[in-house]
Amino acid sequence: MALEAHSAARGAIPRTAKPPPHPGRWQRWKRSEAFAAWLFLLPSLVGFLVFTAGPVLAAAVISLLDWNLFSPPSFAGLGNFARLGSDPTFWTALGNTAYFTFVSVPLTLLVSLGTALLLNHGLRRMAIFRSLLLLPYATITVAVAFVWIWLYIPHDGLVNSVLGLVGIHGPAWLVSEGWAMPALILMSVWKSFGFGMVIFLAGLAAIPQQLYEAARVDGATPWQSFRKVTLPLLSPSVFFTVVTSVIGSFQVFDQALIMTDGGPGARTTTLVMYIYQTGFENYDQGYAAAQSLVLFAFVAVITGLQFLAQRRLVHYDV
Amino acid sequence: MSSTQPARPAWLSPRPGRHSPGLGRHSPGPSPAGLSRRALLRGGAAALGAVAAGGALGGCSAGPPPGTATWSMWSSSPQEQAVWDDFGRYVERRMKVRSVSTLTPSEGYPTKLDLQLVSGTASIVTALNGWLIPTYASRGAHRPLDDLIADDPDFDLSDFYPAIRSISSFGHKTYAIGFDVAPTVLYYNRTLLEKNGIDPPSPTEPMSWEHFSELAVELSRKPDQYGFTCAPAIDDLVSWIYSAGGNVMNEAQDAGALHEPEALEAIGFVVDLFVKKKAAPPISNLVTEDALANFLQGNVAFMQNGPWQVVNVRKAPFEWDIVPFPAGPAGSRPRVSGSSFAIPSGVGGDELKLAWRLLKTLTSTGALNIYARAGRNNPARRSAGSAFTPPPRNLGIVQDILAGRLPHAGGHPFDVTTNWNRVRQLLGQDLPRAFLGQVSVADAVGGLTTRLDVLMRQHQDALRQAGG
Repeated sequence: MALEAHSAARGAIPRTAKPPPHPGRWQRWKRSEAFAAWLFLLPSLVGFLVFTAGPVLAAAVISLLDWNLFSPPSFAGLGNFARLGSDPTFWTALGNTAYFTFVSVPLTLLVSLGTALLLNHGLRRMAIFRSLLLLPYATITVAVAFVWIWLYIPHDGLVNSVLGLVGIHGPAWLVSEGWAMPALILMSVWKSFGFGMVIFLAGLAAIPQQLYEAARVDGATPWQSFRKVTLPLLSPSVFFTVVTSVIGSFQVFDQALIMTDGGPGARTTTLVMYIYQTGFENYDQGYAAAQSLVLFAFVAVITGLQFLAQRRLVHYDV
Repeated sequence: MSSTQPARPAWLSPRPGRHSPGLGRHSPGPSPAGLSRRALLRGGAAALGAVAAGGALGGCSAGPPPGTATWSMWSSSPQEQAVWDDFGRYVERRMKVRSVSTLTPSEGYPTKLDLQLVSGTASIVTALNGWLIPTYASRGAHRPLDDLIADDPDFDLSDFYPAIRSISSFGHKTYAIGFDVAPTVLYYNRTLLEKNGIDPPSPTEPMSWEHFSELAVELSRKPDQYGFTCAPAIDDLVSWIYSAGGNVMNEAQDAGALHEPEALEAIGFVVDLFVKKKAAPPISNLVTEDALANFLQGNVAFMQNGPWQVVNVRKAPFEWDIVPFPAGPAGSRPRVSGSSFAIPSGVGGDELKLAWRLLKTLTSTGALNIYARAGRNNPARRSAGSAFTPPPRNLGIVQDILAGRLPHAGGHPFDVTTNWNRVRQLLGQDLPRAFLGQVSVADAVGGLTTRLDVLMRQHQDALRQAGG
């Protein structure tokens, strides 16, 4: 009794009350924010593993096989990759894809940026214009492609009719060897510039107005303000748009399939279209997988180079 | 912590008065609404688990129960859908089992079927376009039916036209049973011919190429009026090649034959109608170019097509009919094509018995009567032929040609290889440039001959592997 009284007097825990159990590592982990974060990431992670990483790994395995879907596969080693070197259609498709990418991406970027700058200059009812200009991006490619097929009809299509008004005899667009790819690019730029426009509008809104005021006080012309203030501070948006556009352009498929089916000749056969034909029309799964991996490598290298360039060209600080 | 830091969500706020070692401020606690982080996480995890389990169960339990008559077919319009619905009801009435049809638009049908066959989820009976039968048969995707036919005294194969029996066979084995078969014919716009003072062509005697070309050119003299239309694709071109005595491949099927004079003459004849004589509507694109749509506009005199388009041409706002395909140097020998039902290789045991019963039902005279009565196409069975009735007035020539009753108008089975997809792709890529006037026929064919030879050698390899 004397001891208990003494203990109580010292503020110690009464003997009858058990001290709280010391939580184990698992308990601590379960209660941590990291656990919560992982749990919330889990659906995306499972999705990534099942639908992205898994197929990439499967493609890597299949690329080593000779497999026509129905017969048992046989090991082909690196034979499918060796075939790429002597396959003219593959190189044509790669060239067409590069042509599409290196023309459509800068064009899309310019149109997006130009539109964003116009909209950003105090245009009234900007939300309406922004929504209207974003509509093509929100519309599915298949529908857009069918509409553009009609627009491109050589004799009385809208495009050539409009050109005719200013005395230009328009080409046969989708069946012309020289104009089929530019026709696809034009349609793709129209379809996708809205995405870049929204990104640029967000970037422009984040630029502090004080910088422009300071530049004006220093006597900067509008062009100098644009070059020295807008462009550097917009560089993260430009970088993001370029990276995503390049990746998307290397995967161009649906509009080419619907509007030209790769023709005339193989002038608009893109790499993904050729991969699809190889895998699902020619039943050559191993070779298609090898092509996919090469495309993956191309995109990875180009994206890597863009990230390297980012260090010098992209400015995240004011 | 800066005073401007945004407030934490309530459910992440620390629970007051509870000792939480190692967690500090981030320990779970009840929100004002009473929802703790742990409760939310538990709820979220449970919901995720339920979704995953539901998905897994749903995936595992997908598909009708055993004993269901499952069959796959392409279908691209409500009219086609109606016919297949009637088929389904017929199957249920006759077989006293549930019928489940998987209908897919025709463009995507082969790809979907491939994936279903590989994943073992295909129906027990699948429809096949005739030109795909060697492709599937040589890869072992479908089973030969000869044993089932031999064991079934009720099944009379002789009721089917020889052409569809040939189309449905591979390596002297029957891999499928047909449901339609027909030669390509020539549709003509009677109203347009009358307007131009031209008598309708004979329904029994094919026009010569020369006469046909003269008529086509004559009818193209007026602005926005054309003599002829067809698709700039091998499927249409091949009828001219056969009628010239040529083929896509040689007789041994080990080399291409498009560079032979007969084939070059045929391709040149059609290309000239487009490029030099301007007797065909100009090609505006290579994907949706549609000969039928051109014909239905009413300003085109002749269209080559199969009788499967009869049902669509019946909507035309003008008088029209069909006549035999024009006769070239080798006569009138248009492509004869057809479609069939087959049984995937993976079907066995009791399911195989059900599949065979289903296949017999789907290709029975009763079912094909439904098909022909709806005007879909000429039925593969002679006994169902009377259900495919006019209009047009000359519809009977389809069966006359198949039966060899017209002395100067015949047909040629569509000769295809085990890799016809690739051959089609090659020709589809290179030949249209000649139709567009971008290269000469000789250059177009010359540019693809080596690759066509390679494909023919690969076809031979596939034949050897299938035989061995």
